[in-house]
Amino acid sequence: MPILEVENIKKSFDSLEVLKQISFEVNKNDVIAVIGPSGSGKSTMLRSLVHLEELDGGNVSVNGNYIVKEGIYSKPQLVKQITSKMGMVFQHFNLFPHLTVVENLELAPKLLKQGSAEQNRSLSMELLKKVGLSDKADVLPSKLSGGQKQRVAIARALMRKPEILLFDEPTSALDPELTGEVLRVMKDLAQEGMTMVVVTHEMEFAKDVATKAIFMDKGEIVESGSPVDLLTNPQMERTKSFLHRTLQT
Amino acid sequence: MSIDYFLSILKPMLEGAQATIILFLVAIIVSIPLGFLLTLIVRSSIKPLAYLANAYIYLMRGTPLLLQLLFIVFGLPLIPVIGEYLVLDRFVAACLGFILNYAAYFAEIFRGGLLSIDKGQYEAAQVLGLNRWQTMSNVVLPQMFRVALPSVANESVTLVKDTALLYAVAVPELLHFAQTAVNRDFTITPFLLAGVIYLLITLCLTMFFKWLERRLRFD
Repeated sequence: MPILEVENIKKSFDSLEVLKQISFEVNKNDVIAVIGPSGSGKSTMLRSLVHLEELDGGNVSVNGNYIVKEGIYSKPQLVKQITSKMGMVFQHFNLFPHLTVVENLELAPKLLKQGSAEQNRSLSMELLKKVGLSDKADVLPSKLSGGQKQRVAIARALMRKPEILLFDEPTSALDPELTGEVLRVMKDLAQEGMTMVVVTHEMEFAKDVATKAIFMDKGEIVESGSPVDLLTNPQMERTKSFLHRTLQT
Repeated sequence: MSIDYFLSILKPMLEGAQATIILFLVAIIVSIPLGFLLTLIVRSSIKPLAYLANAYIYLMRGTPLLLQLLFIVFGLPLIPVIGEYLVLDRFVAACLGFILNYAAYFAEIFRGGLLSIDKGQYEAAQVLGLNRWQTMSNVVLPQMFRVALPSVANESVTLVKDTALLYAVAVPELLHFAQTAVNRDFTITPFLLAGVIYLLITLCLTMFFKWLERRLRFD
């Protein structure tokens, strides 16, 4: 059974349909790369999975528990409980600027009373080590580079021990020379078996790391399949033209 | 001019300064939280409440503080029937006037502070499982307060100087004693002394806020 199931989700902003009947599923250990031109609805799709966007129709369920079923949301408490299985990494990191790195990691578990202070400290230090930032624990985010900020954001998302980690263009706001360090951390996570859905423009990453690729355009899934096939031998005209444009630049 | 004369006017003026400082402290301690509450009401989804709060802010910012003070101290008791119950101690009435007025200004300052907070902060907090209250108190407020701090400092200095308006409603404070001494003794010294005392108070305040800004710096 898939952990995450998305069926026929729909969303419109006024008369503009940004998501038209999108369906896909995510199995354990999947790494799904979602690619497509800007404005294709891929970020909206990802954000709707953790209820940062309100859907107009369709189903989203995690382990068989519905966040939204036929366009009707479960009770807020239940939605919160189900979405807590998912972590999210944002394009602009969204670290809390007034808190140090380690405080960023520990704020949520502390407020939600999950684990003792000692447990949370050892977990946060372990995760910072994993993303290569042990020495930055007591530093404010403003003192970090973009790549370091994003690695902190990944560690913060991991503090909740998510079953699925969602990435919304995690390297798009970074200088090109800083994307590598973030992609390396993501690759490590994938190799450890973390289930991930990654909205990205990094075609090489999609090809190397993803187990499945989805190409979205104008609010629908145009084509999906193995990343290598989709990226090197696309079947649909829209995919071809997108890849052609992307590879030129 | 002798040292003795100087000391003789210094004592009542320091007492006056005490009234000034007490009024300042009461006004600031009450009007800051009240102002924040107003900000929340303005932003609330209950529209009639938001309109009322906006109207209140408009009223308080759109009329002179002096008029408001005169209204509360001398005007309220003139209202038929209920007026006789509205005769407040002048100092209390003055405190009330300052609180009501400054809350409106602080509400606007905090509204500006809230607007400066990126929506990504709310989203990150939501995805991490924080509820609205936790998000407000642990993520939004500390940042909002830091952003608003220079404006709060500015407003506080204005408040110190506005306490001189108590003169108009005959509450004895620093300026009152200075003016009395000037009239009595025909010398300019009390005015100069009053100026120095105001400067000392605002200097302390400015240094305090500078220190607070340094402490809360995160950018």
